[in-house]
Amino acid sequence: METFVKAFKDTLKSPEDEIESLRTEAFEEFSKTGIPNNRHEYWKFSDPSVILNLDLKLNDSLDDIDEDYDLILCNGKISKNKTKSRIGSISEGIKKGDISEKVLKIKENPFINLNSAFAINGCYINLERNSTNELRILNLITNNEEIEQAVYPKIVIIAEENSNTTILEEFRISGKGTNFVNSAMNILMAQGANLEHIILDDYADNTYHIANIAVEQKKDSNYVSHNFTIGKKFARRDFNIELTETGANCDLNGLYFASNEEHIDHHTTIEHMEHNCTSNEHYKGILDGKAIAVFNGRIHVHPEAQKTDAIQSNQNLLLSDDAIIHTKPELEIYADDVKCTHGATVGQLDENAMFYLKTRGLNQSEAKRLLMRAYVGEIIEKITDDNIRKEMMGIVVKKLPKGTND
Amino acid sequence: MIRIENLHVEVDGNKILNGINLEVKAGETHAIMGPNGSGKSTLAQVLAGHEDYDVTQGSVEYLGKDLLDMDVDERACKGIFLAFQYPVELPGVNNTYFLKSALNAQRKYHGEPEIDAMEFMELIGDKIKLLNLKESLLKRPVNFGFSGGEKKRNEIFQMAVLEPKLALLDETDSGLDIDALRVVAGGVNAMRSNENATIVVTHYQRLLNYIVPDFVHVLVDGKIINSGDKNLALELEEKGYDKIIEEAAG
Repeated sequence: METFVKAFKDTLKSPEDEIESLRTEAFEEFSKTGIPNNRHEYWKFSDPSVILNLDLKLNDSLDDIDEDYDLILCNGKISKNKTKSRIGSISEGIKKGDISEKVLKIKENPFINLNSAFAINGCYINLERNSTNELRILNLITNNEEIEQAVYPKIVIIAEENSNTTILEEFRISGKGTNFVNSAMNILMAQGANLEHIILDDYADNTYHIANIAVEQKKDSNYVSHNFTIGKKFARRDFNIELTETGANCDLNGLYFASNEEHIDHHTTIEHMEHNCTSNEHYKGILDGKAIAVFNGRIHVHPEAQKTDAIQSNQNLLLSDDAIIHTKPELEIYADDVKCTHGATVGQLDENAMFYLKTRGLNQSEAKRLLMRAYVGEIIEKITDDNIRKEMMGIVVKKLPKGTND
Repeated sequence: MIRIENLHVEVDGNKILNGINLEVKAGETHAIMGPNGSGKSTLAQVLAGHEDYDVTQGSVEYLGKDLLDMDVDERACKGIFLAFQYPVELPGVNNTYFLKSALNAQRKYHGEPEIDAMEFMELIGDKIKLLNLKESLLKRPVNFGFSGGEKKRNEIFQMAVLEPKLALLDETDSGLDIDALRVVAGGVNAMRSNENATIVVTHYQRLLNYIVPDFVHVLVDGKIINSGDKNLALELEEKGYDKIIEEAAG
């Protein structure tokens, strides 16, 4: 814990820090709870206390990157912006009144509080009402010193009424040190706003990534995410969706690939708080080697949320006998007129299909890849934009696990 | 082309084939007929390389090489094609993509470059007409949601594209109405040449009216008990399996 205390104290130097008191509150809350371990139910299969063994240095240094993105955050700091939207750091956003102080409010999850405590930079994006936007965001983590470092990217997105947006958000790790990336994203969706959020969280065997995405949805808003997580030393991504007003819909689609000794954990919570909201969740994983994956999908239907329609499905393909998946649906329903379905499957590649493909001349690895391509295609096909869908298919197919168990 | 000698095969310790001897030369079409459970389909599956079958005795020589030593995909690349009795559905695998992958896998095996996209479209355009298949089936997942007849035609369509040396047709007539049977048989016949050979496995004589065999073999309890020309099939149809089995035993 001392490393966090020291690092936090070092941030309390800037005279222009408008949000110092908010950050301090968040840090005090974090200090009370500390980093959880696997004795907590919520962290049962993914123990983040290993992070405490690292000698973490805060990194918010800026590298000069010029790549073809609309927005580049380097170690959590805006380094390039060519969007037309109103954009700035978190403190600028609060100062201008573009975002509320609430984005830094205390949460139950200690990692969100830790992220808020270090929200010295961060970024907010204001998507104007009735606007149509396509944003490519690069969340770049650099570790040039090859040290043990901590990075706290924070993004706040305000999707105003009837705005229509596609965001392609890519996490990329460069450099060889060890990274603790604690990222948080808040998405606030006004009435009728529509947001399609594609996340590509690429492979990094030197990184502990804890990501929190919180979405608050008003009437008739629509949030759709396509989340592609490729193996990490330790990856934990939580989605917390609040359907606060009637007619809101969220679709959570996801793919995760883990090989070797990689670890990927997804915890999703969908709060159905009002009547006539819908949610549709479909996550698929491919596990190889001694990888471990966790999927925990919670659907909470509040008493007011009559006529809820919630669908959840988690499917897993195991390419090796040593890979482990912990999958758990968690349905908590307090309304009586609702439709909730859930299902979880774990399986291997279909042997009949493999034989059929081989009788046509495909070898073991070609046949495997063809079947895996079909398996992931079901998720990727849900991306609306033709170009992004093709681009993602190309990227994802290259990252398919090899299937080492032959 | 293929010489099967004293082939014995077991599945989970149960003897299915008990000493098959069969030679098929290039240009020939052989029909294997037999009652249910006689081992007809097993023979086709074993030749294609299915791993569930244990060869306990005997040998199979294909184009001068030991067939039993080859992997399934190697057999396919060397020209063996199995038209399945129950074609496997591959949800999510586009039919055209699948065919192209198969064709390119075989070309790669022979050290040839991948087929050019235009050339491929022309090739499948020609073959699809031969089998009277709807073009829309090319865009759909392999066999997924196909009718029984469409699945069987799709098998022969694949065969037409891959141009095998030795085709094994496993109960290709089952589930086909008479019109579809004609189309499928027409496709098979169009591919017959002096360079390739066909083994037709069937329960009924019906298919053999359209794909006329040079030789007919009757398989009972894992053994060929009688061989002859196409008239043997007609005799079988007339007398039934029981009678022929009796005569062979007698």
